[in-house]
Amino acid sequence: MIELNNVSTVYDDDFVALHGVSLAINPGEFVSIVGPAGAGKSTLLRLLTRELRPTEGVVTVDGVDLSHIPDDDVPLLRRKIGTVFQDFKLLSNRNAFENVGYAMEVAGATEDEIAEDVPKALDIVGLGDKRNNFPHQLSGGEKQRLAIARALIHRPRIILADEPTGNLDMVNSHDVIQLLLKINALGTTVLLVTHNRDIVNTVNRRVVTMETGRIVRDQTQHGKYII
Amino acid sequence: MLKEKLRRVFAAGWKNFRRNRYVSIGTTGVMSLVLLLFLCLVGVNFLGSVLVQNLEGKVDVRLYLKNEATDDEVKTIRTELEALNSVKYVDFVSREQALAEFKERHANDALIQQSLSELPDNPLQAWLNIKATDATQYASIVGFLEASRMRSVIDKINYYDNEAVIGRIQGISHAVQNWGMIGTLLLAFISVLVAFNTVRLTIYNQKQEIEIQRLVGASNWYIRAPYMIEGVLYGGFATAIALVLFFGGLQFASPKVAVLMPGVSLMGYFAGNVVQIIGMTLFAGIALGVVSSLVAIRRFLNV
Repeated sequence: MIELNNVSTVYDDDFVALHGVSLAINPGEFVSIVGPAGAGKSTLLRLLTRELRPTEGVVTVDGVDLSHIPDDDVPLLRRKIGTVFQDFKLLSNRNAFENVGYAMEVAGATEDEIAEDVPKALDIVGLGDKRNNFPHQLSGGEKQRLAIARALIHRPRIILADEPTGNLDMVNSHDVIQLLLKINALGTTVLLVTHNRDIVNTVNRRVVTMETGRIVRDQTQHGKYII
Repeated sequence: MLKEKLRRVFAAGWKNFRRNRYVSIGTTGVMSLVLLLFLCLVGVNFLGSVLVQNLEGKVDVRLYLKNEATDDEVKTIRTELEALNSVKYVDFVSREQALAEFKERHANDALIQQSLSELPDNPLQAWLNIKATDATQYASIVGFLEASRMRSVIDKINYYDNEAVIGRIQGISHAVQNWGMIGTLLLAFISVLVAFNTVRLTIYNQKQEIEIQRLVGASNWYIRAPYMIEGVLYGGFATAIALVLFFGGLQFASPKVAVLMPGVSLMGYFAGNVVQIIGMTLFAGIALGVVSSLVAIRRFLNV
């Protein structure tokens, strides 16, 4: 379903972020991507949302070469992939309901559909009673759960989580990971980029380790955090 | 669906405007000042053109005719002059009219009245007042008269006495027009830059929001449109504020200008053209807001 074939990415300042990376991820997998800062983990995720194009190699999702998607169709790709970030990336001047609803709006959902689906998504992440709160009125954990609700709203087949627990305490981190596992259990592929050893070891699924733009280890089952 | 999308775009634009209250007030304030300056420039240009008109209106050439000139000869000169494109109109003042006007003008001066009554004959000459379409044309009109077959009945052309004054008035007129134009363009350019950069900074503050909207799959137009609506709102509110301030200031300034330039009513000019003024300011405000928003947002929309 997700395939990177001999992918290299070189930034404008000649920094090589990825170096001939090949990786295949099957539908429904939960993959933790670990590695030190600058290993190329986030670059890999940015290739999947077409924020970047590979300098060399091919990135495909569901058999579609992302480099060949016209710019105008990139929003369609992004509506199929849910993204969760360390800094939450919530719209600050929209409340919780509107943040999730916006993701539906851009996909052309009607007001009735939004009114029906958004409260359900907020309930799933435990924010049913905070629908009118603005991001600045939410705690870090709540913000991240809101971001997950937004990522879920399209019922995406893939969720990309880039350090989703980076700004959270242990309890909230645990909640967020449990939420991602639950989503994965429903059949969604989850790619989790993290530095958190405990989380990776607790999840106990496939672990891909990266260093200086290369994949140095791929533990396909019961993976542990090893650098 | 399109209707729904439009409704959402308008609602989002209004929501952005309302929820970023302080930024919106600041941007609208700066744009109001820019539009106010723009309105003041219109006023200054109007006063400049009145000044030029007044100055040019004071310039004419008077052609004194010899006393023996016959009516036919006067008529011929007049017809020939009126046939020239450069001549706006020609007035004839006979000797009798000249005397009557002179007496009237000096009605309170007993000495002059007595002197005139003692004279055996009317001492004044008949004349033709020539008004050119443009002050630069007087030299060529005078040239035409000098070469005319009727030169013999012309006693004197006062152009030569007034040549320096006419030249100076022309110089002032041109300076007012040219510098007025340069000043207007310069100030307009500066104000457009100020407004543009203010809106740009406002949108720069929203850089992260735009990035997020892109990441959740919003199309470029869906991101751009609410900012355009915000631009319209900045322009619309700024126009309203600028017009209120301007017309308020005009109430105060108009009588003062009328003292300096009798017969000139700034308020009258703006009140007479109120629809055009409002339309023009609204257009300038909205165009400035929308174009600045569009240009500013363009760089954040690269996929």
